[in-house]
Amino acid sequence: MISGCSALIVVLATVVAGAQQQPPAPPGDPAAIERGQRLHVQECGFCHGANARGGSSGPDLTRSALVQNDENGRELGAFLQAGRPDRGMPKFDLPRAQVEDLAAFLHSAIFLNANRRFYKILDILVGDPKAGESYFAGAGRCVACHSPTGDLKGVGAKYEPVALQQRLLLPRGRILPPGAAPLPLYAQPTAIRATVTPRPGESVTGGLVRMTDFDITIYDAATGAMRSWLRSGDDPHVVLSDPLQAHIDQLTKWTDADMHNMTAYLASLK
Amino acid sequence: MTSTRALRLCRAAAVVAIAAAPLALAAQIPTDAWPTYHGDYSGRRYSTLKQINTATVKNLALAWIYRLNTSRAGAIVGGEGPDTPPAGGPPAVKSTPLMINGVLYFSAPDHVWALDARTGREVWHYAWKTRGGDHIGNRGVGILDRWLYFLTPDNYFVSLEIATGRERWHHEVANMKREYFSTNAPMIIGKQVIIGVGGDALDVPGYLESRDPETGNLVWRWNTTPRAGEAGAGSWPDEYSMSHGGGMPWLPGTYDPELNLYYFGTGNPQPVLAGQSREGDNLFTCSIVAINPETGRMAWYYQVTPHDTHDWDAAQTPVLIDGDFGGRPRKMVAQASRNGHYFLLDRTTGEHLVTTRHTDSINWTREINAKGQPIRNPSKDATVPGTLVSPDTSGATNWPPPSFSPATGLLYFGTRQAFSVMYLTDTDGRPQGWAAAERNVGTIGNALKAIDYRTGAVKWSRPLAMGPAGSLGGSMGLLSTAGGVLFGNDGGGNFVAYDAGSGQPLWHAGLGTNTTNGPQTYLLDGRQFVVVGAGDALYAFVLP
Repeated sequence: MISGCSALIVVLATVVAGAQQQPPAPPGDPAAIERGQRLHVQECGFCHGANARGGSSGPDLTRSALVQNDENGRELGAFLQAGRPDRGMPKFDLPRAQVEDLAAFLHSAIFLNANRRFYKILDILVGDPKAGESYFAGAGRCVACHSPTGDLKGVGAKYEPVALQQRLLLPRGRILPPGAAPLPLYAQPTAIRATVTPRPGESVTGGLVRMTDFDITIYDAATGAMRSWLRSGDDPHVVLSDPLQAHIDQLTKWTDADMHNMTAYLASLK
Repeated sequence: MTSTRALRLCRAAAVVAIAAAPLALAAQIPTDAWPTYHGDYSGRRYSTLKQINTATVKNLALAWIYRLNTSRAGAIVGGEGPDTPPAGGPPAVKSTPLMINGVLYFSAPDHVWALDARTGREVWHYAWKTRGGDHIGNRGVGILDRWLYFLTPDNYFVSLEIATGRERWHHEVANMKREYFSTNAPMIIGKQVIIGVGGDALDVPGYLESRDPETGNLVWRWNTTPRAGEAGAGSWPDEYSMSHGGGMPWLPGTYDPELNLYYFGTGNPQPVLAGQSREGDNLFTCSIVAINPETGRMAWYYQVTPHDTHDWDAAQTPVLIDGDFGGRPRKMVAQASRNGHYFLLDRTTGEHLVTTRHTDSINWTREINAKGQPIRNPSKDATVPGTLVSPDTSGATNWPPPSFSPATGLLYFGTRQAFSVMYLTDTDGRPQGWAAAERNVGTIGNALKAIDYRTGAVKWSRPLAMGPAGSLGGSMGLLSTAGGVLFGNDGGGNFVAYDAGSGQPLWHAGLGTNTTNGPQTYLLDGRQFVVVGAGDALYAFVLP
């Protein structure tokens, strides 16, 4: 719904996405959550469903206002002691510790519904590797730059399928080994490049740091230094080139089936 | 109370005592004030001021900077939460400051400030002790007579005295534990203070409320999804789905005093990226809605995305345009929508007039139907192995306020052409929350656009700044003026004055970070100020 995301953040996220950042552990005591889950399946699952999202006769507990408002089993415990006999909900006389376990499980389930950075992407390798291989050599025109026995040798062993899919779409930035100092995007070979020609002056080419209507900054890999110019109209003259232009052009052409097949094919290059 | 504080309060009281003239909340922004979120009720964000114009704007110079002071020391402190402030960096200014009698009033999550509009010096600061809630942003305050109203991330509706910042009362209006949070700027129409809630992490129903300005008590509530048996209920499979169906009205709307209708956009349906448990159009989510502000009764609605499955709410400002259409004068409402389309409607009846694509990269539609609604291609819903979708969930445009200039007849807004892969992660027949994960891929070009309101045709389009990974920026707050100037940003950290007719940049200030709110302008001591927020600071510019 709400987006506080500036595109700059999206760009950074694109780089980080490749790095497969591990989210922090969700809150709650894992042992208590597991005990609570067992208890739920045993005592409540028949009516409320094994995953607590509602079952044959009982409502969804993860969407229940009572459960969502509960603090550490206090409200839940009071409710269970009384039950709701008029609606077919018997009372349960559970020890305090068990009520807390049950609450830990339900709150954990609610948390995992509500916090999408903990969502787990499922098995995405559903495509046909053979069809992917044909697309690679044919309509995808991937062979113009890539080879399964050259730059892509073993690529399927190098990346998890989701990272592989992201990178076949747009391999901007490098995935760095854990703990390595982050390399700024403009210093990487996949950065957009700019050739700046001042008048008078020699042309300079480097990784684009930033270009606005008023200034341009590039990174000169040879010297490791940044250089900047103020811009006024076409002075200095700037030509941008994107080493990933073929990938950018392809973004509007992919069918999802081609994308899945290509993922399966690249994943097979172990 | 420190003597400095006492002095400040005295000064503020004096400022207020001088001018008690009633605020003219007509269809035009007063030149000496900015009394509502949009300046007036129209949402055009067009000022008749022209001291700063296409010829003089090149001389625009910094008047002052105010860096957000979030310290509780010296602040008036309220709230129900713990004494320790939440972790996190400084908030960004997303609110549009109100300017009344020489004082600016604005907010960020948990904070309200009053500043001297001449000098940028703090008059008072109110800090709220939060219980929690999403602190993503706050759009601003509403003011009626001596009283200010705002909402907190933990869903309190708070009233302060504008002279002193002292709290009058606060009321809880939504339940934080159910993942509701509040970012809206209260909109005041007559004696109604209209507020809306936000939050789509759990599947909870959305609502718009009117609150009494004296007591803060509920006057009416309009549910954004129907209850069983109500109009629109047939667009959901069952009561269970519609009562968990979202539709958060999280941005301030616009108002036509003649028709006595309040216009606002509703949020996306829930669960957000998975539609398997909510077959149907899912009314009244993703809709432009016209409502009577006294009764809360709906006059008409127009759904811009039936059965949304990509988080593209229709909360963006419904801009009121009076002008020619089809050879006769008409009262219209326009929206540059997050789903990548531009809509023009008759605002008396809701009759559809125009739909066009405002952004080229969008790949999710199958057709535009006879009512002008883009109909989704179901194959572009999130799937387990992933679906490549444009725009991404942030949309082709978003909440930052657009601008319409009656002088040029152009509607201005920032656009993005981003792609991402959406993965269904919750395959249950009754999915919950977002139910899918998103991985951003990249963008193929973002632009500031000016379109002819009558046709949706692009008059000019200005590419935004470039970084090493492509186009930057996108959606941005805008202000147009009778001086022929359009204030916005360039995606590259500059605050820019563009020629409203051609899109050529005329002036810029390198703030180092993109503007984060809607720019506003006012005349004070005979000088036209332009005020804009960028990150954690507010900047004011004047001619020397």
